Formats: sequence, structure tokens, C-alpha cells
Amino acid sequence: MKHNNEKLPAEELHNQITFYLNGQQIQEVLAPGISTLDWLHKQKHLHGTKCSCNEGDCGACTVVIAFRHNETIAYEAINSCLYPAAKLHGKHIITIEALGDTKNLHPIQQSLLEHHGTQCGYCTPGFVMSMFALFATFTHPNKETILSALEGNLCRCTGYQSILDAAQEIAENFIPDQLVPQWCREIEKQLLEFEESAAMVVKPKNAVGLVNRYLTPENLKVLFDYFAMEPDALFIAGGTDLMVQMNINRKEYPVLIDLTGIPELNKLYQQADCLHIGASVTYNQLYTCDFVSQGYPELHKLISQIASQQIRNFGTLCGNIANASPIGDSLPLLMVLDANLRLQSELEIRHVPIRDFFVAYRQTALHKGEIIREVILAPTPQNAYVKCIKSAKRKSVDISAVITAMRLEQDSGTITNAIFALGGVASTPIISKTFTSLMENKKLTSIDVNQVCHAVADEFAPLSDVRGSSEYRHTLIRNHLDLYLKEFLEVPR
Amino acid sequence: MKHSHHLSGSLHLTGKSRFIADDAPLQGMLHAKFLFSPVAHAEIISLDVRAASAFPGVYKVIGATDITGENQIGHIIKDEPLFPEKTIMYAWQPLAMVLAEDEQVAEAAVKLIKLSYKELKPIFDPLEADSCEEWYVPERKIESGDVVSALSKAPYKLKGITSSSGQEHFYMEAQSCRAIPFEDNRIMLYSATQSTMEVQEVVSHLLGIPAHDIIVDVPRLGGAFGGKERAATIWACMAALGAYVCKRPVQVYLSRHEDMHATGKRHPFVSLWEVGFDDEGRISAYDIQLLANGGAYSDLSVAILERAMFHSDNIYHIPDIRIRGRACRTNLPPNTAFRGFGAPQGIFVIESILEDIARQLNLDPIAIRNANAYKNGSLAPYGQEIVECQIPEIFSALVNNAEYHKLKAEVADFNLANSRFKRGLGIMPVKFGISFTTALLNQGSALIWVYIDGSVSVSTGGVEMGQELSTKVAVVVSRVLGIPIDKIRVESSNTQRVGNASPTAASTGSDINGNAARIAAEKIRECLREPAAKLLEQKYNLAVSQEELVFSQATVYPVTNPEHSLSFAELIRFAYVERIPLAAYGYYRTPDLWFDRDKGNGRPFHYYVYGAALAEVELDCLLGEHSLRKLFIVHENGQSLHPDIDLGQITGAAIQCYGWCTMEDLQWDAKGNYISANPSTYKIPGIRDLPEVLKVDILASLSKEASVFGSKATGEPPFVYGLAVFFALQAAVRAANPDATLSFPATPEALLKGLKSV
Repeated sequence: MKHNNEKLPAEELHNQITFYLNGQQIQEVLAPGISTLDWLHKQKHLHGTKCSCNEGDCGACTVVIAFRHNETIAYEAINSCLYPAAKLHGKHIITIEALGDTKNLHPIQQSLLEHHGTQCGYCTPGFVMSMFALFATFTHPNKETILSALEGNLCRCTGYQSILDAAQEIAENFIPDQLVPQWCREIEKQLLEFEESAAMVVKPKNAVGLVNRYLTPENLKVLFDYFAMEPDALFIAGGTDLMVQMNINRKEYPVLIDLTGIPELNKLYQQADCLHIGASVTYNQLYTCDFVSQGYPELHKLISQIASQQIRNFGTLCGNIANASPIGDSLPLLMVLDANLRLQSELEIRHVPIRDFFVAYRQTALHKGEIIREVILAPTPQNAYVKCIKSAKRKSVDISAVITAMRLEQDSGTITNAIFALGGVASTPIISKTFTSLMENKKLTSIDVNQVCHAVADEFAPLSDVRGSSEYRHTLIRNHLDLYLKEFLEVPR
Repeated sequence: MKHSHHLSGSLHLTGKSRFIADDAPLQGMLHAKFLFSPVAHAEIISLDVRAASAFPGVYKVIGATDITGENQIGHIIKDEPLFPEKTIMYAWQPLAMVLAEDEQVAEAAVKLIKLSYKELKPIFDPLEADSCEEWYVPERKIESGDVVSALSKAPYKLKGITSSSGQEHFYMEAQSCRAIPFEDNRIMLYSATQSTMEVQEVVSHLLGIPAHDIIVDVPRLGGAFGGKERAATIWACMAALGAYVCKRPVQVYLSRHEDMHATGKRHPFVSLWEVGFDDEGRISAYDIQLLANGGAYSDLSVAILERAMFHSDNIYHIPDIRIRGRACRTNLPPNTAFRGFGAPQGIFVIESILEDIARQLNLDPIAIRNANAYKNGSLAPYGQEIVECQIPEIFSALVNNAEYHKLKAEVADFNLANSRFKRGLGIMPVKFGISFTTALLNQGSALIWVYIDGSVSVSTGGVEMGQELSTKVAVVVSRVLGIPIDKIRVESSNTQRVGNASPTAASTGSDINGNAARIAAEKIRECLREPAAKLLEQKYNLAVSQEELVFSQATVYPVTNPEHSLSFAELIRFAYVERIPLAAYGYYRTPDLWFDRDKGNGRPFHYYVYGAALAEVELDCLLGEHSLRKLFIVHENGQSLHPDIDLGQITGAAIQCYGWCTMEDLQWDAKGNYISANPSTYKIPGIRDLPEVLKVDILASLSKEASVFGSKATGEPPFVYGLAVFFALQAAVRAANPDATLSFPATPEALLKGLKSV
């Protein structure tokens, strides 16, 4: 770790924010970049929220945030280990400490108690909070919705059956108004009216930390002003990957600029048939958006397979793109959907197709000081075949070994458009050249599926790593293709 | 009867239960951060901590030279230093400890330690270690009959090599210990350990101070599964040494990725075997050599190997059998106890063989298992007589519950009609021996106080780690004293209240501690008879014989005259006035255990637990993914103390094993660093991995062998049920590719590989 580095300021810029903690308004001065979990533990000594993995994979640290969204109040579960505490400004954070008392359990807790849904107890507060967000949002959720809400919580003791039984009992017998306590409802009005802005406090730097300033601009002008002052700053949206880099790899990010407080960047709208997805639009916003489920059903389905509910609640699609991981879950599908990226810097707006965006391993076409303002998705033609397959070790909350997407269009028995995009097989997400050249302008009847599968797989020399060997990845490329092509060719034309 | 809730349930559910690392920092408390070895095997040339020591905010950097006693934390075999002085034996071995009030300062200072070393060739493969005779102890052997001649006479023979992989414990609470110095150079240790005695004994040796100067307290553990039986000791030693040297409280709390890199796992095993059988699938001869990949130090490897050997027969009576085992030293972190303690690895081999024989002879997998199963009166290879074999009843219940014959036909039809998807059934029976195979560990103590208001405090040597031992102990005391559970507190495990406690392990927690608590409670109850009779006489003018007094529902009354009763609280107050002892110490040792290691003969187990599972899977042959459609379990456990708790243990164990054999893919690189050392690369089952249908049937039995109040142990035996999924997947693979072998664990990659192989 660096220290005494003259490039770094001798003082730190702390965030002074106003929010609600378990029904009480508070104003806090936060160390820059501190996670919500560290803040709960180190500043508030609230230890009901547990730390188990510190990288968003286990859910033990789940807390619920209530916040204004489209003039209503949303209750969402988040991984507090990955959620920068500065983002709490204007929100209500609800932790296990407030939800019930041993002598007066909340109905969720009572149900878990009756079903023996807790053994060692270390994962339990996280499960309770995930269930609280679920049942505050949905009336009588079905099993699938329950599983989605709980897939981000690991339990090593129970084998989950007792937890699922408890959740299903709650789903059957209660509605949100019986489960959201009055003190939460009372804060809702204040959240709707909340106008105060966040402030910054300069403090002498007295500790070794990974972040020296965490800036939270309220509009684009301020954003670029900040960047002019801090040209080495990194932009942070959800932060679900950056925070892992800090928590686990102890990576230093001297200056971070948070995009999520800027209303212009949270827009999700349709214009001239195109879907515009702003920089800070979360996966969950996308998942619940009718434009997405109706216009881009594969994207809708894919989102449900990305990370966990807690991560989907603050992870963003644009963050996934900017992060440019070769196994970024959304990237192959966005490539076949021909997504266009609207990039913005202080002085310029330009458009770059996502296919041209990934230039090398974790390197993008973004210039210094440029953000992905939005992703623009053109409508897919009615007859287009669009599919995406994610292959991973576990059914949910896993990173893919290989993820692919395909788009095929044909006109009177001739292929007019053929794109096959892959993640996990090269240093960037990539489009197969072989596939397009083998398929385009071909008669449907002339396609030799087996030959295409082998030829396309041979285009790639994937690496072997912890998620799979090179041979396995090869097999997956072939088998994904086989699956798509057979399905496409059997579709009644 | 409505069973009690989890004793800590309301605390857990409201986030109010206390775990060691959750306590607020103490004034002046130092946080420990470690320099971990970057390589698996090396000679240390120098370790320069000067810059780290001088780093502002660092209190002290601790290494081998700071140890006041002996630099030795080995328990059974003394082969493990706290800090290596000459030779690094595994990657992520702690080499030095930095103490600072600020965690981030300690972390920054660790990076300033300069280590220079010369790499030595590491060994990770047990076969290689075996060929170099890298064994902690010489080969162990259990033998019955003459396997060589039986093999030569067998009509059919098979031989092979079967491997199973390691498993990360992934207890939700990582390793932790807080050490607090107090007067007269004594130390209080809040340790996340399953074994207070071992921590006390090893720390005493390390610091060179008597055991009574070290107090170990365990409030509860956030999961353990064996991973804190022995593997917690090193971290307790670190905290204790830091506190002893610095005279400041010291907290050791590993991060998840430190924990996953630096601590030992379930032992990977490689087994070489040969089996002889007849055309009805009856096994006449079995010759097996088990090699355990023990890691850098012996830890519990020899005992784990022995349990694997004891379970190599599983439920099968094989007349001529030779079981040899060698625990091999490699350069992985010392592998350690994990639920099942070697038994699953031993059982996996014989069950794989049964599958192969059934396939070769085209026999039904349940029929062939039944045909080979033990019957009452037969002897296990180590000479113990099987007296309460439950196998026929269990298989018949399983066949009924699963509608096995119908299901089998459906699977066959499905497989005929489908090519992309294949279904498979897997069977997994178990006979699990209960007792520590090291006989001396089968003892335990309890201390009970009845306070003046009639409320009760119970301490045992047992550690609560989610298995709800506390609840079971409370059930026992409640039954003996006839008082409700809510009048009973089960306390932390603490060496001052209960010393010399065996680890809470080997599934024996409730047998040993429950019995000790029962004995203590019975002593108190017997002492209460005299004052009770006296008080009844005073109160009702009744002449009562002490023997006819009944303790029930918080009252005491003569069996012939229940309407004349005393409240328990009133009796206690009276007994105190009468100067009757209101506390008792209970001591229990498991009867009739012995084992002669040299002869491989004896009676190592108090009793066996029996059960079986059946799984149905559907495999996507293109993607290698599967769905677990059904899991049926029939589990015999005597007269359960608490069926809800046992159900939770059975389900949790089965799912944990399902993880082991299908998705938990432990991998290390050429330097011996675990590369699957975080939950984003090492996947344990999540809620979506639950079977679509899960039916657990607990068979009550009137076992005469069973333990406290007729109950049987539940912790480990159900673990192996998860292997039914492995064999179901293998069956599905073989439906597409009859001669395929499936490697372990059955990840999508392994399944696709199996589907391709010829």
C-alpha cells in the first residue's frame, strides 16, 4: 500500500450526508469510500449485520434501503459490504436491529423460528432482511419470486428447505402492509420530501485508506467540474465490482466520482422506438421495466440470471459495460442487440457501437473524463431470433465460464443477419467472424450445423482457469451453437 | 407434542446473538494481520521485519522468537510450528503477525516485511507423496479373512482407482479469537473453536504457562462442520501469544479469502482397489488402499484416515477384506476434520464399485445393495458385531416413499424418448459408526446449578455451532428435572466450568454432553427427593416415600397423589434452607469401547446410525447442467430428542454433500495457492439448488444401543445422502454413454467430459 505519496492530498474529503437509520434521521461524516457494512460495524458498532465474504456473494451483510423512486417508496435489499455508505444520502437504511425484538418478533422472524430456519445464526439476519425487502414489495409472491429474492443469501447449515418453507408461509398469510412497520411508513413521507444536499468536510489525513475523496455530484455540470479538478478520478456507478477490488484486493482508488446521484443519468425511457438506459439504471430497474420485458425478452431473462437480487438492486448495466470484463454477463447479448453507447465528456457527446467499444483486455473506447451516459437499444425486428445462454457452475449467483448470444434473421429462406457474440473465450467480449461469414447470405437449407459448430469453435483459443478448462469452453461454444441453430432451423418459417 | 424452538433462535433472528468477532473493540485492542507465505515449500533465508516494526502505528511484529514456550502447536503428533523457522510447508502459512490498533496500519505494515526464501519442490499429489513414503505414521491395516486367495477364486473381478476431492468448510463465520490478558499473566481466550481443551492445552505449551492460567470460552460458533475442531487452534495461539507478549487485548479475525486460502479442508482421497464378486453381484473379496491427502502437517489426518477405513465397507458384509490406509504429507494447508471425517470418502469408493458391478451384471442397484448388506450377527472387518441392522426396513421404506419401481420405469421411458435430456437415479445407503475412534475422547462433563428461584444454568463441554446442542441439552435437563425449557439456560462452553472437554465432534455432542447433563440433573433430582418429601409432609400432612415422587411440569408430586404437589421453585427454596446441594457435576464415558490399532481389531463404535437416500436428476447433455428433481431420505435415529432439529441436520448435511460432489470445485495452482478461494469461484449450494421434491422420513426405532433417552447422533451420518445425486448423475451420463466414468465433483464440465468419453 502506498503512503506518503506526494501526489495524494494531505487531507481527506469526507462525505457529510443526511439519512435515516432505523427510523431516526441522522447526519454522519463518513470516511471516504467506506462501505455501509464497515460504517455499521466501525462507526455505529451495530453488529447484527454480519460480514462473511465481504464481496457480495453470501448475503450475510444484507440490509434494506427505502428510497424515493418514481414518487413512490421502494424497499430493496442490498449487500452492505459493497454499497458505499455515501450513497445512503436521502435514503432510509433498515437493519436487523430494528426489525423485531426477541420478545416481539416480526412475523418473518416468527415464521423462521417456527420452521427452524436458523441454525448457527450467522446468515440469519441477512435472510431476514432479504425477506423483509421481498415481502415489503410483493403481495403473495410465488416460489420463483421468493427464490430470486433469496438466491443471494448463502446458508451452510440448514440446506434451505426450512427457510423456504418459512418464506412460503409468509407469502401465503401476509401482505406488505402487515409487514412494513409503522415507523418505516412514517419515514416514507420524509423520504418523498427530502431535498437536502450532501456536503463535504475536509479533514486531515490520518489513516492509511484506499480512497481519499468520494465525490457525489448532483448534476452533470458538477460532475465534470469535479473531474476537471481531479483528472485521475475514477467514475463509480453501482460499485459492485470496484468495491470488491477494494475489499478483497485492497486496491487504492484515490478519487472516486459517484454517478448515481445525478437524476439525468437515471433515465430509462423509450424514444423513437429505441430504449434508452441511463448510466445509473440498475438491473432491477431494467428487470421491472415493461419496455424491457416486452421489447427485449432475452435481456429480461438474462438479467434474472445476473448476480443476486441484492446486487441487481444497485449494480448497473452501464457499469457492467464500462467494467469491460471479458465475462461481463450482459455484454454478448448487448452486442447482438447492436447496442449503441452514448458517451459524454465535458465538451462532447459521441456515439460508439458496443461492438467497437472493447479494445483490449479490460480496455475500452472511453476517453479520459468520458462516461457512458446511456445505452441505446434499437428495436429488434419481429422475426429476429435472439437468444442468450449463460454457462456456469451453479444455477444462480455465479460468474459464467462461457456466455454467448446469437441473433439470426432471414428473409425468404436466406440468412440476412447472423451474429454470434461470446464472453469468456477471449480477452474481450467478442463477435465471431467465422460465424457471420459462414451464415450470412446462406440458404437455411444449406446450413450444416455440425460443420458451423466446429468451425466457429476453432476460431477461439479460450484460456483454462478456475471456471473451466479450455476444452470445456470449446465444448460449450459448440454446444451453445448447436442449441441455437437447431432451435432456429426448426422454428416454423 | 410441540417441540421447543431453537434456544438461540430469537437472538439469531434479531441479530442479537453474540459471536466472537462481533464484540465492540476493547480499549487498546490490537488487530492482527499476517504475512502469509507466497509459496508452498521453501527454505526461509531471512525474514526482515524491521521496516514493518518501525511503521507508524505498529505495536509489535511477532514471530517465532517471541514464543515463550515451545514453537509447537501439534496436538496428537507434534509436527507443527506456530511460525515455521526453517521450512515453509504450505502456501499461505502464516510467517509473522503484525499487531496494531488500526487494522489498516497492520495491513500496510505486513507489506513491508521482507521475506527471502529458496523454493523447494512441493508435492500436492498423494500418489507422489505415497511413493516418497511421506507418511505421518506407518500404514494402518484392518483385515479379515484372506483377501488374496478370495480374489483369486472370485468368478468376476474389477480393479480401479477412485478419487474424491477436498471441500472448503465455508462456515459463515470465519476463524476468530479474541485474547484478553488479565492479572498474574493469565489469559482469557474467546475462541471460535470446537475444542476448548485442545486450545487450552496447546496455548499452555506454546506460552509455557499452566493450563489453569488460560481460560477458554466459546459463546457459540457461526458454523464449524469440523473446520474449527483443530484448525481453530492456530488462530487462538496467535491471539494468545500476541496478548501474552504485548499485555494488550488482541483480536484475530480472518477475512473470508484469508480463511479460504490459509486453512485446511476436507481430505481429498485417492483409493486403489480390487474387488471380487459372483454372478449375483455378491462381493466376496475387497482389497483397498486409501491414500489421504493430509497436507503439510498431520493435524487430524491419521484419525480421519482411520474413519475412512472403518467405513470402507459401508453397509456391506464382505467376508474377505483388506483395508490399508496411508495418510500422506503434501504441501497443502493441513487438511482437517470435515463432517463425516473420512467416512464419506471411504463410503464413496465402495458405492462406486457397487454401481460398476450392478452395471456390469445388469442388476438393480437396490437389489444388489440389499444382497450384500450386513445382517444381524455378522462381524465388521474390525470385529465389531452388527446387532441392530436396519437396512432391510430402510430400503423398503425408501422403495415405498419414492415409488421406486414406477420411478425407475419412468426414467427408462424418458431416456428412450429423449436425447438431449437424460434422467438418472442414484442410491446411497449408510451405516455410520458413532463414537470417537480415539476411545479416550469419549468422555464428557456437565455442571448444573439450580438457583434459588428455580431457574437453572447448565454448562457442558459441548460447543454450540448451530447443531442446536444447547437445545438438546436443555431438553434432557428439562425431562430429568421436570421443568420447562425456558427455565434452563445452557451456557457457553468454558474451561473454568467444564475442563478437559473433548471436541464437539464425531456427531457425539448430544450423546456425550447430553448424558453428562442427564447424570448431573439426576444427581440434583435425587438430592431433592428428601426435602420434597419433607415439604409435602409439612404442607399437606402427607406421608410420602421419596421413590414415588414425580418431577413433571415444574411440579413435584407423589405418583399416587398428583393433586398434592409442590412447585419446583418452592421446593428449591425449601431445599436451600434445608442445606441441600443445588448443583451437581455429571460425568459420562461411553461404555464398552476399545480398539487395538496394531491388530486392527476391536469395538470402536457405541452404535451405528443407518439410513438411505434416493435421488433423481435430469441432465442437459448439451450444457452439462442438471436439475435435482427428487431427493428421498429415510433416516433411522432411535428416539429423537427433537425431530425438528434432526430434520434440519439431515437436510443441511445432505445438501452440503450435494455441494461437495457436484459444484464445490477446489483448485490450486502450481505454487499450491488455492485459486478457488472466494465465494465467487467456489460455489456452495444456494437456495435454487434445493431439490424440487425433498422428502425426509425419520424412522423412529427402539434401538437398545442408542444413547441419551434412546436418541442417536445426527450430525454426520446424513452427510453422505448427497452422494445419491452423484450416482444419479453418473446414471444419467451412462444413459447416454454407457461406459462413461464421471469424475469428482460432477460439475457441468465433468459431466460434459463424461458424456464424451468412450
